[in-house]
This record gives sequence, C-alpha cells and structure tokens, in this order.
Amino acid sequence: MLYFIADLLALGAINAIMAVGLNLQYGQAGILNFTYYTFVAIGAYVGAVTTMGHPPVPASEETFILQWSLPWPVALLLAGVVAGVLGLFMVLVVIRRLRSDYLAIVTVSLGFIVWDLITNYVPLFNGANGLFNVPYILNGATASEITYTLEVFGVAMVVLAVCVWVVRSIFRSPYGRVLRAIREDDVVAASFGKATTSSRVWAFVLGCVMAGLAGALLVFYVNAWNPQGFLAEESFILMAAIVIGGPGNYWGAVLGTFVFVELLSEIERYLPNFGNGALVGAGRAVLIGIVLIVVIRFRPDGLIPERWLRWYRVPAGGGQGGPAGFQSPGAPRRRLGWPRVGQRGEI
Amino acid sequence: MNQLAEAVGFGLVDAAVIALAAVGLSLQVSVTNFINFAYGDFMSFGAYVTYAANAAGLNFFPSVAVGAAGTGLLGVVSNWVVFRPLMRRKSRTLILLICTVGLSFIVQNVIVMIWGPNAEHYSVTVGNALHLGPFLFTPGDLILIGVAFTLLLALHLFMQNTKFGTALRATSNNDDLAQACGIDTGRVVMWTWAISGMLCAVAGVGLALETNSLRPTTGFNELFVVFGAIILGGIGRVYGAMLGALVIGILTEISAMFISPVYSGALAFTVVIVVLLLRPQGLLPGRGRSA
Repeated sequence: MLYFIADLLALGAINAIMAVGLNLQYGQAGILNFTYYTFVAIGAYVGAVTTMGHPPVPASEETFILQWSLPWPVALLLAGVVAGVLGLFMVLVVIRRLRSDYLAIVTVSLGFIVWDLITNYVPLFNGANGLFNVPYILNGATASEITYTLEVFGVAMVVLAVCVWVVRSIFRSPYGRVLRAIREDDVVAASFGKATTSSRVWAFVLGCVMAGLAGALLVFYVNAWNPQGFLAEESFILMAAIVIGGPGNYWGAVLGTFVFVELLSEIERYLPNFGNGALVGAGRAVLIGIVLIVVIRFRPDGLIPERWLRWYRVPAGGGQGGPAGFQSPGAPRRRLGWPRVGQRGEI
Repeated sequence: MNQLAEAVGFGLVDAAVIALAAVGLSLQVSVTNFINFAYGDFMSFGAYVTYAANAAGLNFFPSVAVGAAGTGLLGVVSNWVVFRPLMRRKSRTLILLICTVGLSFIVQNVIVMIWGPNAEHYSVTVGNALHLGPFLFTPGDLILIGVAFTLLLALHLFMQNTKFGTALRATSNNDDLAQACGIDTGRVVMWTWAISGMLCAVAGVGLALETNSLRPTTGFNELFVVFGAIILGGIGRVYGAMLGALVIGILTEISAMFISPVYSGALAFTVVIVVLLLRPQGLLPGRGRSA
C-alpha cells in the first residue's frame, strides 16, 4: 500500500510535468498537439542512450546510438534540449501555413512517422524491442524499491517546480497575454502588431522541452522503454485529461492528468480481470470519452476554469470576466459556477 | 514491368476502399465544417456490425446493408447527442475536434467491450487470384471495386440531380445562406451523417476483407490514410477525395516495390504533410468550397 502511494506520487509528479507542458501549448497558445507523447518518447530515448553506456553484454542484441554514460542530470537536460529542438523543427515547418485543425492532423501524422521509424529501424533505438537496463539514478541500484520511488518523486518535484515557475511567469507576463490573445483570435492579435508566429513557436518549443524532461525522468524511473508505450492514443488521453481538467489553468491540467491518466490506469491494474480481458481497459477509455464530451457540453471551460487563476480576475466593474476579446467569441459569457439553464446557447 | 502493373492493380483495390471512406468523410466535413477523428472507428463499427449480422446467419451482402444502416444510425445519433448542441452554441472547430476524439474513444472501446480485442475474420472467401491482362485480382477485389464505383456513381447522380442533393451542396457552400433560402439545414446535416456513415461502413467492410482481419483498431489506423486522401483532394471536396484516394492507394503500393512496405504508412503521411504545406487547397485547381 505504501509502495502504491509512493508509485502514485512519483508518476503523478512526472505526469504533472507533461500536463504543464502540454497545457502551455494547448491551453495558452491554442496549439492542438496530438503527438505530445512523441516528444516524451524522444526525451526518454535520449535520457536512456546517454546514460546507458555500452550494452553490458556485447552479445546482447541491443543496438542503439551514442552509448554515452553521462551523469544523469546532464542526460536529463540533454533530453529536454533534444525534444525542444525537434519540436522547433516540427513547429517551424507547419505552424506558419496551417489552421489549428489541420495542424492537429499534421501533428498526429508526424507522430506516426516518428513511431514508424523508431519501431522499424533497429539501429537507431533498437526498434520495437525498445531499450532495457537503463541505469538507476542516485543510489537506486542499492536502495530499496520504495526509497528509490520516493527519490524519483523528489527529483520530479524539483523539475515540476521549475516548470510551474516558468509557466506561471509566462502566464503573468505580457508574453502570456499575447499568447492568449493569439489563442482567441490570431488575426486580431496580428493586427495589433503582435508576432503571432514566433510567440506560438516558442510556447510550443517550451512545452516540448518539458515533455523531454518528463520522458527522461520516466525512463530513469522504470529503467526500460518501449515504443509500444507511445501510441497516438496516449497523446489523445493526455489531451482529453487537460480539456477535462481545464485548459489554460495549470492546476486544472494537473488535476485532469492525475485523475484520468494516472489514477484510472493504476486502479485498472488492481481490478480483477473479467470479461474478455480487455474489458477494464476499454471501460476506462469509454469513461474518459464520455466525461470529455459531457464536460465540453456542460462545462466548456473544464473542471477548474482558467478564470479561477488570480491574474484572470479584473477589478470590479471591469467587464464580465476578463479584458475585451478575452473569451472565445462563440462561448456564452458566464459568471463563475455551474451553468444555469437559459444562459446556454446565448451569444 | 509486370510487377509495376500488379502494384497498380493492388493500388486500385486500396483506392476503392479509401475512396469510399474519403468521400464519406469529405461529405461530412464539407457540411459540418469540422474534421472527425471518430470516422475511422465508425468504419470499424460498420465492419463489426456486418460481421455480427453475418455470424448470426444472414448472407454476406444483406449483412453489409445491415452494417451500413447501423453505422448511418450511429452517425445520426452522435450528431444528435454530441455535435448538434455544440454547433448550436457555435463552439469553436477546435472544441468539436476534441469531441470527435472523445467519440472515437467511446466507439472504439465499446467495440472492444462487445467483440473483444482479437482479430476476427469474415466467413466469405475472396476466391483465387486471376490474371486480367497485366493485373492480378481476386473476384472479391473485383466486386469491391465494382461496389465502390457503383456507390460513388450513385452518390454523384444523387448530388447532382435531386433536390436534396442540391440542398446538400448549398449547405456545404454556405449554411447560413442556405438556411435563409428556406433549406432545412438541420435535416441536411442529419442526412449527411447518415450517408457518410453508410459509405464508411462499406469502406470498413472492404478494408477488413482486403486485409483479411478485423480488429477494433482497423478503422482508426486507416483514418490517417483517409485524411491523406481528402487533404490531397482538397478538404471538403468530394470529387477531389476520389482523386486523392486513387493517388494515395497507388502510390503506397508502388512505393512498396522500392522501400520496405513497413514504411508505406510513413510515406503516405509524408506526402500528406508536403501537400498540406505546399498546396493546402488540394491538387485540383481552386474553386469555391463545395461538394
């Protein structure tokens, strides 16, 4: 039980890093990135191949690039940098020309391409077999399982704190306001002279860096990695969790991820298998789908709306819930709390 | 050379399946104006309902009709329950897109819950391959191509020659204006979901026949190839989608001659991205958005 809680905490902190990063991309910059897990995967692979050294047994069939044995903090940073650089390449190619929904298709397609390459091209990252024997960080090789879990939790919390601090600073800065203005209406933002493309590019890259950090921590924690863990579905679930929790508000994103990505899958592990063996996992996905649609229908700002954040509040008499042009043009203007009948559908 | 002709032949079979799905999706996108990530799972759903009807003792072709009707109904119901309220609220495209992802979770995993995660097979046989000129087809392939051709021709005649077809094209062009002209756009949208559901069910059955296996993820994995076809043809343009399907189908089969076939999916996606970046309006010359 104690181990269960520790495990939950460690994974929770790692997932929270992903949530904060993706939330920066979607919640603030309005970029629908359906392949966030690709960047987590890249971070994980970089974290692995820069710490693993040469394969312990030459005869073992593992083939991968680099084979460095750097200290883990360097590997962690390197993972973030590589994921960020790849994100920069990707976003530079696509963002200038595409509307947000086509961007979503392109991100998914790019994710599939990367996945195809990693799975089928063995010399790069050992193909579909993935990597194993990734070294422990700190004193993990000798410490007990629970101590190691708590240590990883501590490291992840430090990284998370840095990420949250960065995102909070962005939220409150003029740059954050530009991002949100672009999210609401990029044409208007551009007409005010804001650099719409470069603002979104940097938000995207920063989100990818956080994905890389989370991926590296994940690989240090579980000591093995496999492309099978990075199917498009994972990104979709993460995105769904953020929309449910409340895009724009990092607390909402963290809550959504914790409940819908982690808690449910952990509970699923402890449920007895019944039915056709896949019933429990399928039930979880159906539940996420239903909750997602119900939340979008009845509480479109998520469980913890953006306007609960302190910076969102404006002085009394300062309009309804935000500066002009702040809410999506189509969404009904509402006060705090649950929707009331009769307000819905009005513009 | 012979090999090339055979690849083109296989490509035609692929293209028939992709074209059915792409035309259905394109029709729906042109009318509702958002991209549907659940469409691939609709394909699987149609294929599974067909499988169930067939297993229950119905002949194969009536089973396909049952599958098509079931998927059409699924489309209408999901429009009614999920999308219509959001469209009325004039939600943003992004929000509707995320909703389709949720719908995709639901449909795909309900399939897993009902029929299990393992591969199923239809009890029909596609027959032995026979040479037709330089091509190599099974009778099943020929029937598939014939069915796809007939359905698409029927759709074309329906769109061009009936009053409802005209209303549909008007709605896809500009739904506010269509409404102002007295067209019941709500009804048009409903029937669009029904028609696109039926087309994609037939496509799903074709896909399962062609690959000889039916899994809950069959449709979802094909979805991005279908996206490729509609992007190539110009999003929301039905005839462009047919052309796009032809290009993608034949291209992936021919490319399998030169590079390992495991990368053919990646190649299709690369083509999609390149086209989207260089010619976002699609391959056909520019024209107003219409069906």
